[in-house]
Amino acid sequence: MFAYNAKLAFKSLNDRPSLTILMVAAIAIGLGLFMTTLTLAHQAGKIPIPHISQQIHLVQLDNREVTADDAENFNEMVDLTYQDTNNLLNLNMAGAEQTLVWNSYGILNVEEQNIQPLRSSIVATNHAFFNMFEVPFLYGKAWDSDADQFAQAVIVLTKKSNDYLFGGTNSVGQQVRLNTQVLTVIGVLDDWFLARKFYDRSYYQAFPDQGLIPSNFAFDNNFPRNARFDCWSTTTNPRKFTNNYLTELKTSECAWITFWAKLPNNTKEDYQTQLGQYIDSQKLLGRFPRKNQYFLTNINEQLSIISSMGGRQQMLGVISYMFFAVCLINAVSILLAKFMRRTKEVSLRRALGAKKRTILQQHLIEVILIGVIGGLFGIAVTYLSLQAMLRVNLYASDYMRTAADLMPYHQMDWEMIMMAFSVSVGCTLLVGLYPIWRICNVSPASQLKAQ
Amino acid sequence: MEFRPILLSIKHNKAIAMLVIIQVAITLTVLSGSLLMTTSTLKEWNLPSGIPHDNIISAVPQFYDLDVDVRQSVVDDLAGIKALPGVINASPVTQRPFDAQGIQKVYLDATNEAQEYDTNIFTGDANFHEVLQLSLIEGRLFRENEIVTGKKDELNATPPIVMVSEDMAKALFPDGDALGKTIWLAKGASPVEIIGIYSNFMNGERLNYFGQSYRTVLQPLVTWQNREDPSYLIRVEDGMAEGLLETVRNQLYQIDGRYINQVEVLTRTQKRMYDGRGSHAIMLLVISIILLLITAFGMAGLVSFLVTQRQKQIGTRRALGATKWDVVRYFMLENGILTSIGILTGLVLSIVFAFVLTEDSGVNILDMSYIFATAFFILLINQLAVYFPAKKAANVEPAIVTRAA
Repeated sequence: MFAYNAKLAFKSLNDRPSLTILMVAAIAIGLGLFMTTLTLAHQAGKIPIPHISQQIHLVQLDNREVTADDAENFNEMVDLTYQDTNNLLNLNMAGAEQTLVWNSYGILNVEEQNIQPLRSSIVATNHAFFNMFEVPFLYGKAWDSDADQFAQAVIVLTKKSNDYLFGGTNSVGQQVRLNTQVLTVIGVLDDWFLARKFYDRSYYQAFPDQGLIPSNFAFDNNFPRNARFDCWSTTTNPRKFTNNYLTELKTSECAWITFWAKLPNNTKEDYQTQLGQYIDSQKLLGRFPRKNQYFLTNINEQLSIISSMGGRQQMLGVISYMFFAVCLINAVSILLAKFMRRTKEVSLRRALGAKKRTILQQHLIEVILIGVIGGLFGIAVTYLSLQAMLRVNLYASDYMRTAADLMPYHQMDWEMIMMAFSVSVGCTLLVGLYPIWRICNVSPASQLKAQ
Repeated sequence: MEFRPILLSIKHNKAIAMLVIIQVAITLTVLSGSLLMTTSTLKEWNLPSGIPHDNIISAVPQFYDLDVDVRQSVVDDLAGIKALPGVINASPVTQRPFDAQGIQKVYLDATNEAQEYDTNIFTGDANFHEVLQLSLIEGRLFRENEIVTGKKDELNATPPIVMVSEDMAKALFPDGDALGKTIWLAKGASPVEIIGIYSNFMNGERLNYFGQSYRTVLQPLVTWQNREDPSYLIRVEDGMAEGLLETVRNQLYQIDGRYINQVEVLTRTQKRMYDGRGSHAIMLLVISIILLLITAFGMAGLVSFLVTQRQKQIGTRRALGATKWDVVRYFMLENGILTSIGILTGLVLSIVFAFVLTEDSGVNILDMSYIFATAFFILLINQLAVYFPAKKAANVEPAIVTRAA
């Protein structure tokens, strides 16, 4: 019976091929756009370093004035001041690794005359960064705590900048200049894919940095501080701290340094207690005028807060849902009309003894077939439109980002392919229910009266 | 009229009628939503630049070695660049067309309550107008000896004269008597005299967004300060720009201690100015067109199917004396009623959607004329989608009704 029904279903699809093509095309195109936005959101929502992301916490202390607004989450809270950063690093926090991050920029250049300088964004941090975030090395290794303490002139290059400056060779021990300062290459990173660049809180996709240097070295040589300065007790223009006034900045209540703590299982409470104690001790010095408040936010929590904020992507999302709905409705109205034409045939079959179940099976098969074919083509459309989105994004970034960098964000994985398939079959079935219900309830012989 | 039979027929086919209505309503919502977003992003898009941007190269040197003598390097750079074959002229500038950063203000008097006018202040030497091929509308050009050169915080005095663009002159002095007037480039600054008015050129994204694309002021000034060094605008022979980029870059790398950024034809600067908006809007537009096509084809498919199903009814009517046009009109009216109901529903949805989008983007995009235009367009498309199958069906021989089923 199944074989017979399947045959009938095929025959029906073949009956008016243009209508079938219309239905499949509508579903495929609707699904394509829907899956495109879903895939983009899926890839954008991926968590960097997922196996340890829940241990990596952003640390923020509320050093603001009494009159400041209450902060609900980390996104409304200020980062750390220089003094707190230093104090926390010097506290012996049992079981916790800590690092600081701030952004700088400069021109990387080598003696070699035929290699033109490289404009670079530079991460200023400490030795713990590499171990905490499990950064992969291609050559050499991270600097040690001595390098931090004595502000040694060392640099860790990324794979790309090493490729550009040293042709991809092992450059450990070689010298490179950042602006006019000579630094020794101590390590070269391997490819380090981050779904989002979390460590400087930019959450950027595909805007990698070019090098990492010890924070103290960056301070000593007054590299520009590319940060937002939240200054609560100074009224002067805080942007002046970008290039100047380092001494004033170091003692100010300006919060601008991103601070991370890696807190493995069960150490979070200890850490919290210590933070509380630290704030109390600072209160004695007249700092931290507000009630004790600090935020410890792990990477997963950060991303869920960030992604709940709207934007253009979300508008595109809404439009794609509606688009898919229109396409489904389009397909189902054709399906309904098609089924209704068959009323006579069905009532004849029923009169000749066909069970309701048989009729149901036949039409179910037909609807599922449409869903499957629509799904297959839909996946193809998704692939194409993701490629198109990649081109659009490349174009919109004025080719500052590379296709290779952007690719991971425009790719379907198996999860998405399965999703596309089940959405296609599921939705087609869902909207097909009504036409099927209508056709199954045709009473036997009702349509056989003379007309 | 035929309303009663049509309504009866719609009632008979409630489900399909509902589907058509929903489809029209959602299509209208999505289409008008994306159209509103597109038009709001494409406002002031790709306006004429006023300059031969295809033949102008820009270069933005950034000194990282702060010991280099910038004054000498500007002299050397200009001499080197102008000596390159294919180069017509060059000028050192602080801002480039299409790339003006931020919005500056100028004032008509020195008081604190002075009204402010948004503008972008450009600087250049006596060759600026020739590099950009600006024409002099009134007054005179800068003379060589009027150009003030120096490090920004070491300047003794800023130049006492400026030129303004045609649009800027009109904005400041609507009566058209800007020449010779005095303006202030900052509160508390010394006054400057307008000595000339030049033809408009595009300033940059910020003012463009506010519909003030051509408001510029030009100072006879070549300045720099730490890490902000003069950029160069270089006009070259027609069609040679792309080929000269590498040459210009190498020429500028003759002086060490700096990074040469954005050696590019201004065409690319122009593209960058618009492409964030453009790519997004065009993407939405493509989606909208596909959606419209799907709706149109779907509608046509559905109607032609329904019409062929009703061949017998058509035959009967024809046999009873209905003309072909009566038959076609019947179907078009039926579709018209359904589409109109869908459009009414869609109008409400569209307005709600436009409000949501406005809330999200912070830009008021609601413009009823676009929504009405979209509605009308959908009605038109649907009517066309009905017309052809209905016309075909109306050709049924009246005698068909007499045949056996």
